[in-house]
Amino acid sequence: MTDQGIDPAFEAVLRRRLRNLPAETPLDPTAPLTDLGLDSMEAVELVFDIEDELGVALPDDTLTGDTFATARSLGAVVDRVRSEPTSSPS
Amino acid sequence: MTATAVPRPAAGGLDDLRSRVAAVRPVLRNQARAVDASAAFPVAGLTALRESGLLGLLVPARYGGLGGDLTDLVRVAADLAADCLSTAMIWAMHGQQVAALVAYATPELRAELLPRVAAGEVYLASVTSERGKGGHLLTAEAALHRDGDLLRVERDAPIVTGGRHADGFLITMRDGPQAPRSAVSLVYADRTALDVRASGSWNPMGMRGTHSGALRLTGTVPLANLVGAPGGFRTVAVSTFAPVGHLAWSACWLGAARAAYGTVLHLLRSNAGRRQFDIRSDLLRVRLARVRLDLDTTAALLARCLRDVRDAGDLTAPAVQLRLNGLKVHAAERSFAVVDTLVELTGLRHGYLRDAPLALERVFRDLRSASLNYGNDRLLLANGALTLLDRGVDLGEERW
Repeated sequence: MTDQGIDPAFEAVLRRRLRNLPAETPLDPTAPLTDLGLDSMEAVELVFDIEDELGVALPDDTLTGDTFATARSLGAVVDRVRSEPTSSPS
Repeated sequence: MTATAVPRPAAGGLDDLRSRVAAVRPVLRNQARAVDASAAFPVAGLTALRESGLLGLLVPARYGGLGGDLTDLVRVAADLAADCLSTAMIWAMHGQQVAALVAYATPELRAELLPRVAAGEVYLASVTSERGKGGHLLTAEAALHRDGDLLRVERDAPIVTGGRHADGFLITMRDGPQAPRSAVSLVYADRTALDVRASGSWNPMGMRGTHSGALRLTGTVPLANLVGAPGGFRTVAVSTFAPVGHLAWSACWLGAARAAYGTVLHLLRSNAGRRQFDIRSDLLRVRLARVRLDLDTTAALLARCLRDVRDAGDLTAPAVQLRLNGLKVHAAERSFAVVDTLVELTGLRHGYLRDAPLALERVFRDLRSASLNYGNDRLLLANGALTLLDRGVDLGEERW
């Protein structure tokens, strides 16, 4: 994600786990993800999706409620981990 | 607490304790495979433990020790066990002996021995096994012989963990030739005071580094080396020996099982693991959940028993005895079950091959001994009787 908006690849991955967000509705970066349909089980799947499809392995200590609060908060963590030198799992 | 020249107590310095453990762990990690392959005593690991000050973890600061408590013991045991369960058990059983000495040794023995333990000079082994008594902790055949201020020790023991390398021994003996088998005394003997003869071979399934072969010990020690009252080992056992043993062993087993689980989780989440395992598989997830639950319940019972030993005025209360025995049984069963499930889950290549990096095969063999190390059946029989004395079913939980 950038200041300009949400990274399209990240949004595509995220959207699949947001069952309350119709395909034609724009994703509000500040909307609570739980309202959009992300429960704790879906969040686990989302972590694996991000790993598989974006190549970004989120460290365990980032997997908190704050991280998964909104598309913006999650996107910021994904961006930060992606920019770190060792972002892939061993 | 006032500022003194003695080393900072571990209880007041977790960072200090952590760094001592961190210095030892690579040595254990590096030698674990070779120690297992050769069934040799982990000399390098023990040397590192001597130098780390951890042999004196439970020795009070006034004797030069780290002044740690049972929470520290459990913490360190679990960490060491993550790298080498044999070495961790050797250290934990040494700690059990130290706890008995601190609580029950005479002032003379404490003053002479505890500073040497703290300095890493004395590694202590436990001599409780004896042929013909079927593993009963609270009976003894071989008798002490008194000669003025001296005690004559002649003792055969079929299993003495680390016995060939110990610098001192805590030995259970019948209090005298006329005493009943139930009058058990605990006596300390320096290796230098003994003729130590090792016999037999040591080639077990697991825990191969503990080198728990047979010993024959003969020698004479001062009367002041009695630990606890003459014939009073039962008191030492109930208040210190058994509780500390059960806590320390359980921490070792839990630490080994937890580490095994952690390595499997890392494998599953790694790039290579993601190609080999379907982490969306229901079967895999149910197994992971079961294993985690075993670890959580064991850790919870361990924490509860730590609290019992710290806070309970009377450790002989049935509810407390039930939990302390139950902890040993549960930790032994569930830690083994954890690794068994992990072998099933990871399959032949990662779980069964001797050279597999995860080392599950070694930990599996090691943990198979847990139920036998003071037999679960014996403890369950005791607990079965004790339950009948606790009709209120005191589970130690928060109640009205």
